[in-house]
Amino acid sequence: MPTVRLPALFRERCGGATAVTVEGSTLGEVLLALDRRCPGIFELLVEGGSIRPELAVAIDGETGSYLLDEPVPPGAEIAILPAIAGG
Amino acid sequence: MTTIERPRYQVIGTRPIRPDGVEKVTGRALYGADVRLPGTIYGRVLRSPHAHARILRIDTSAAERMPGVLAVVTHRDLPAVADGIQNLGETAVNVRELAANLLADDKVLYHGHAVAAVAAVSPHLAEEALGAITVEYEVLPPVLDVREAMREDAPLLDESRRTKNIAGQVVGERPSNIAMHHRFEAGDVEAAFAKASVVIEREFRTKMVHQGYIEPQNATAVWNQDGTVTIWTSTQGAFAVRGQVAELLRLPVSKVRVVPMEIGGGFGGKIPVYLEPLAALLSRKAGGRPVKMTMSRTEVFQATGPTSGTWIRVKAGADAEGRLLAVEAELCYEAGAFPGSSVNAGAMCMLAPYDVENFRIDTYDVVVNKPKTAAYRAPGAPAAAFAMESVVDELCRALKMDPLAFRLKNSSREGTRQVSGVPFPRIGHEECVRAAMESDHYRSPIEGPNRGRGVASGFWFNGGMQSTVLVAVNPDGTVNLIEGNTDIGGTRASLAMQLAEALGIPYEDVKPFVADTDSIGHNDVTGGSRTTFATGLAVYEAAMDIRRQMVARAARILNLPEEDLEYVDGGVQSKSDPSKRIGFKEIARQQARTGGPITGKASLVARGVGPAFSTQIVDVEVDPETGKVTILRYTVVQDAGRAIHPSYVEGQMQGGVAQGIGWALHEEYCYDEQGHLLNANFLDYRIPTALDLPPIETVIVEVPNPAHPFGVRGVGEVSIVPPLAAIANAIYDAIGVRFTDLPISPRRIVEALYGGKEG
Repeated sequence: MPTVRLPALFRERCGGATAVTVEGSTLGEVLLALDRRCPGIFELLVEGGSIRPELAVAIDGETGSYLLDEPVPPGAEIAILPAIAGG
Repeated sequence: MTTIERPRYQVIGTRPIRPDGVEKVTGRALYGADVRLPGTIYGRVLRSPHAHARILRIDTSAAERMPGVLAVVTHRDLPAVADGIQNLGETAVNVRELAANLLADDKVLYHGHAVAAVAAVSPHLAEEALGAITVEYEVLPPVLDVREAMREDAPLLDESRRTKNIAGQVVGERPSNIAMHHRFEAGDVEAAFAKASVVIEREFRTKMVHQGYIEPQNATAVWNQDGTVTIWTSTQGAFAVRGQVAELLRLPVSKVRVVPMEIGGGFGGKIPVYLEPLAALLSRKAGGRPVKMTMSRTEVFQATGPTSGTWIRVKAGADAEGRLLAVEAELCYEAGAFPGSSVNAGAMCMLAPYDVENFRIDTYDVVVNKPKTAAYRAPGAPAAAFAMESVVDELCRALKMDPLAFRLKNSSREGTRQVSGVPFPRIGHEECVRAAMESDHYRSPIEGPNRGRGVASGFWFNGGMQSTVLVAVNPDGTVNLIEGNTDIGGTRASLAMQLAEALGIPYEDVKPFVADTDSIGHNDVTGGSRTTFATGLAVYEAAMDIRRQMVARAARILNLPEEDLEYVDGGVQSKSDPSKRIGFKEIARQQARTGGPITGKASLVARGVGPAFSTQIVDVEVDPETGKVTILRYTVVQDAGRAIHPSYVEGQMQGGVAQGIGWALHEEYCYDEQGHLLNANFLDYRIPTALDLPPIETVIVEVPNPAHPFGVRGVGEVSIVPPLAAIANAIYDAIGVRFTDLPISPRRIVEALYGGKEG
């Protein structure tokens, strides 16, 4: 099952856990499953059906702008981080 | 050069002349200021004399009545845009704030903030018309320093602003200049500090500095009779300009065409728009006359985006064996007048060279009455590295440990988790440190009074994002490479070389061309050190497309089945009988008779970005009488993955170091107490000249990026990250004074040596 690593200030929604393992085969399914364990976190991360533009998601180390239907491999590690830009 | 597993290449790794070289050295290359259209009129901007003031009234009627004045615009002429975040390719921006920065709404928020714009038949008349505009202000107290702006009793730039988290949710109850707070945390920081043999804690300050590109911002716009807009401009991203202009003017992107001109530097500062929407609005008001606008150097300093001034606290602990155990840090970055500094990028870079399990980093994005910051080469990273790498230097001294040995012992590597929790792919920090240790520079002693040596490491993520290329095979066997990335640092050459290598044809047979937004699919900006990597991936895929078509055409010409053919060394040959072969040029010559034009294309979101590290060594001599710091010797080691054109890689390495030297020793925005920028020119804002710089030695390390067919990593930014700390560490080594404030100017050195002041 995929594991979601949580930013420090979002952990209080998940009882202080740094990472939560949940079911799901797409990013959206994983985040909805996460929301059932950590109520309110889906709304925190998703706006209008997309990951909020201020945020980036890394799936198995690959940071990008993913749709919620992005396939997530079994055992994948997902991280939520601030979006950044280069110069 | 350190080389790992280098394949045999014909083109990659050579140093050919850049395709745009002759036009540039003969002065024939066309920049934005060279655009001259029939009927052109000229735009000028009225800017605020105050750092913080409420606009009570703007009267433009006298200016509008002046003969020869054809248009005047204020914020009221901008379509109302909602408060919301828009993803514009590389960055997410609040379009309402972008509009308020373009032309001030109810308040001016910094000295030089645009208030109105005028277009007239001559630039002089436009300038004169600015004086006929009356603006009534209620002057407010400014706040100019990040720490003062964070105080509860600080003047507020926006009374409705509350502190938000990284997801945009309000987390603060009171109005505040702190726009965003975030935290990166892992492990047990307190327990780790308790085990440390040495703990160092310091506070650092860096000043707002500018990218210092030579060519000022410029734009020429025409509002066409069919309702479309055409813009010629100096930009790092034509599609980013198109997106911003379309959002600001509430137009579909299909109605905005942006033509990127040659660019005289950007370094991140030419991603936001400043003049383009104004020129378009003025053109519409002036009945579709072309409007040309060019900033003066003063305007560039006052009103375009520099990088943040910062306050940073770092506490770090190590055990007696030199193992880095814990780091605690606070990073407070000035965002300028609107939120959006690079503070989180700084936090994610500062520990990247190290494998440290216990850390807590708090970040604060803070608005102040200064221009809205923009990206500047590895945005956010140099200031954070200045703090961290200075503290590491102190740890090494306390432990009596060689500073490069410390970095090697604690180095991050493949699988090390970054502070974001994301594990590193294959990276080359260890290789950079080893190459630095083995360099002639590090092995040579530094001797003499007031001389010292410093080292530092730095990291930058590099970028991927979207790229599109088209490749057209000409009947004479040359190919046109049509791409959409502004060529800032030699990307025409680096992309043409990758195409030539992939097709097995001479570099000189590739004709690269940078297209406008109507002529090519979407391309994200030339920024984030992404173009040679990401657009290079697209070039490689387009080359494979061409090769497949070449095989099909050769099958017809040779009358052989495609399955028996393969593309080898710039031609197609039979697998079973290699003597049956036809070259690229012959297939190209016959394309009209074998199916028509051969064109290849590729569009992609580049995955597999290869992060970059650099380790640097600097020797300095400090004149104790004048405080002048002379750079005696400088070596920059950098992992390029694969250096496509080594000369341009070396140029990027040296250029970043040159800017870092300026940041460390000379450059700063100077304000008076009322918030007036006092040094908005290159005489008083001192960037390094050739007289300030020694030859900068380069060592290219090549740890190939496994996700790129040629191993490319971005090379444009990371070299600016270590110099600030490396120089401060060298100055400490020379005179025993630890400077924690930048710039380390002659005045500060003399004060530290004789005035009883430190830092």
